[in-house]
Amino acid sequence: MEQALQKICGEKRTTTDPFELAPYAKDVAYVPAILVHLLTNPLPKAVVQPISAEEISSLIKWAKQGKIPVTVRGGGSTAYFNCIPMKSGLVIDTNRLQGFSEVELDPGSPKKMVWVKAGMTWKDLDDGLRQQGCAVCSSPSSAPSATIGGWVSMGGLGIGSVPYGSVHDQIMALRVVTATGEIVELARPDKSPARNKGSEQASLQFNDLMGTEGTRGIITEIKLLVRDVPEKEKHLLAVFNNETDTGAMMSWLGGEQFTSLYNVHFSSPEFIMALQKAGYAQEIPPGKYSLEIDLEGKRDEVDQAIALIINYVKLQGGTLLPDEVGAEEWADRFKSLRLEQTLPSLLAAEMTLPVSNFAAFYKRLSKLGQKTDTLCVTYAHLVSPGMALVMVLYPSDELNLIRYIVDLSFTCDLYKLGHSLGGKPYVIGFWNTPYLGKIYDKGERERRRRRKQAADPQALLNPGKGYNPPSIILNSYVFGFGMIMIGLFRPLVLKLLKGGKGQ
Amino acid sequence: MKTIEELREQIAKTSYICGSCGSCRSVCPIYREIGWESSAPRRKIALAKEVFLKKKEQQATDQYAQRLQECTLCGKCAEICAAGIKTRELWLNLREDLRARGMEHQNLTQMALQVKTTHNISTFPNENRLDWVDDLDEVEVEASKAGSEVAYFVGCVSSFYPMSVGISQSIVSLLDRAKVNYTVLGSEEWCCGFPLIAAGNSQQVTELAKHNLEKVRSLGVKTLITGCASCYHTWTHEYPTILGGGLGFEVLHAAQYLAGLIRTRQLEPGNLEETVTYHDPCDLGRNSGIYDEPRELIQAMVGVNFVEMPHRREMADCCGGGGNLAAVDKDLSQAIAVHRVREAVATGATILTSACQQCVQTLQMAARQEKLPLEVLDVTELLWRSLEE
Repeated sequence: MEQALQKICGEKRTTTDPFELAPYAKDVAYVPAILVHLLTNPLPKAVVQPISAEEISSLIKWAKQGKIPVTVRGGGSTAYFNCIPMKSGLVIDTNRLQGFSEVELDPGSPKKMVWVKAGMTWKDLDDGLRQQGCAVCSSPSSAPSATIGGWVSMGGLGIGSVPYGSVHDQIMALRVVTATGEIVELARPDKSPARNKGSEQASLQFNDLMGTEGTRGIITEIKLLVRDVPEKEKHLLAVFNNETDTGAMMSWLGGEQFTSLYNVHFSSPEFIMALQKAGYAQEIPPGKYSLEIDLEGKRDEVDQAIALIINYVKLQGGTLLPDEVGAEEWADRFKSLRLEQTLPSLLAAEMTLPVSNFAAFYKRLSKLGQKTDTLCVTYAHLVSPGMALVMVLYPSDELNLIRYIVDLSFTCDLYKLGHSLGGKPYVIGFWNTPYLGKIYDKGERERRRRRKQAADPQALLNPGKGYNPPSIILNSYVFGFGMIMIGLFRPLVLKLLKGGKGQ
Repeated sequence: MKTIEELREQIAKTSYICGSCGSCRSVCPIYREIGWESSAPRRKIALAKEVFLKKKEQQATDQYAQRLQECTLCGKCAEICAAGIKTRELWLNLREDLRARGMEHQNLTQMALQVKTTHNISTFPNENRLDWVDDLDEVEVEASKAGSEVAYFVGCVSSFYPMSVGISQSIVSLLDRAKVNYTVLGSEEWCCGFPLIAAGNSQQVTELAKHNLEKVRSLGVKTLITGCASCYHTWTHEYPTILGGGLGFEVLHAAQYLAGLIRTRQLEPGNLEETVTYHDPCDLGRNSGIYDEPRELIQAMVGVNFVEMPHRREMADCCGGGGNLAAVDKDLSQAIAVHRVREAVATGATILTSACQQCVQTLQMAARQEKLPLEVLDVTELLWRSLEE
């Protein structure tokens, strides 16, 4: 195996050394080994780092011959085992696919775009573009680590999604290696179907690559819309007394559709408290709900929006903090994990939720937290005029196996709560396969399975993710029942361990 | 000084904070060259978590030790860390632990013995500390001169290494030109101890720190200056901790001191028609917060076209020469340096300056190896050249 892979990628970009392989069996989430090994075989047999689509094509053809499962890994910055092998096999690490083309203009429109390779991080791309007076339209909150290909393969929602939509809406074309090893270029369907060279033979379509976690093809390069660096930026930080006023403010911001509204970030009082205990965010009054409102665009548009926002904040009983507080919040937008200084070993649920239900969600979350003696730490982004991406974190202790396992049941409670208010788990990966029925209706699930079958009939690419629960334990009914049972023990375990509020 | 048990507890606590997000990965010069996850800071912390928090001692393998020592201590991972971990401190603690386990790289053990024997990092006796003065025709350098206002702490590299003595020669020439009443410690200058701290051998530094402090205090100077970014960091950040208190005099990097002389017009920079860029040394910039004064010096020279590299100030890339990396893996150190000199060339600069003798030496070697049309000079050398020309 090693020799065959070295022939394709060379000695330096191929490894079968167990020491090197071990990190590729992990992502950002800690999952107890007992659970991982019960359900998966995550240690790859080999990891390779190709530098071209041609190398990836050869790798896929080789894997296809030996029926070896292939998992693609970018930044490894998600928490759902999206990039972790379920059945060992080969991991293709895309981090050596680096670089982007000159900015080009779309004929007949003012749109600017670049071809960017899949392994670049969003921050590196943005830094590079800014040297040329351009910027990415939106980016994930993990921009320093998430790769271009990785975010496209996930949900694609983040900072800047309010004006620019999901990253999927910003892609004009893709270069992809199919599950049979063909290299194809797929243009956005509404652009020019004739440019889909080879796609018919490969049965692969443009939308097959959007948010499908590397299960239908391997993205090597993306033609991405970019924007000019805005004339003016302003970062306001408003604080409110309660979730109702905060939710109303978020709804209003989404509804007004200011052209300069770039991002809105919510922090709960618990999130702010956790940061303050670690020495950050000292300027924010304790107990307040905060909204960071980021405006970017033409000078007059930003100025007009500021005036309106100032008035509406007052109307909602809120207060705007000094400019430098907002600027600092923006500068630290990729550093939410600082709260782990106060609360290490966090568990989480991440979901999309209608903004109109945000206040109700938060109220019920607070009650749930009180009832179960669980400190819930929440932050959220507005990702469209009517939708928020909400992250709820709660402390556990990975050093205590029983505590950690019973705590996992609370994630299920959070998804149930979100679902009752129109929310959906944001990403599927492996761990969220029990929630597939909450994310897609029956017809959509069936359509997804058909597309997977058409694009990857041998189920070579990232098996176990995104379509069916790969184990009976993850069947929604079995899993749901199991979580209820485990959840019944949680109060007792927390009581015995004297604390559901972390350390 | 912390006991090894206290240190291990601190490592365990710090490692628990890491969320493995990988922000550190994309800025790490080591990961950029090696490419495997095992070389990324987040993986090193994950292994530390296994060893110190979960007590899985079997994870402390030779490969683990090698990866921990493959680090320039540049601190860029701390700058970007989403969890706010002071990673540089963590790496130093982990190296202290490696040494306690007897897993320190043999070249670092050798270096520690060398410093113990000669009180410097070279193989030359410390009496040769002022050999570089012999090449100066017009400047007289007097060691331990009574009544001096300023002491110049030269540093091992620009005392002993022929490639770097131009820095010390330029600094004393500039001080002489500005009529500064200064002195040097000569053979009484001992290694500041920075390479030992970086090797996880901070215990051995106490003796060096005590000696150096006593000698400088005995001179009665108001100001101590040094042209070495690592010596500067050690004097300002490590000695007060090691010795437990203030030093009793001001410590400045030569670039800061010379910028002050220019501001007060005690020194008039000359003319130099060159395109120049500046490399922020990690120990002066990111790890000590000094960014502006070296740039002030460059821009004070008439005719200089100053251009910045994309990676600069807090987000400057490392030269590859820090953290004793060259002693552990010379090729890796050189590969990082090559990356940096290429970035400098891409700006259109013909001269790459820095404010650190180690950076200058490492970058010079890389530029020569790559046969790049780039001269690498310390900012003090550049300033002196402007006056000579």
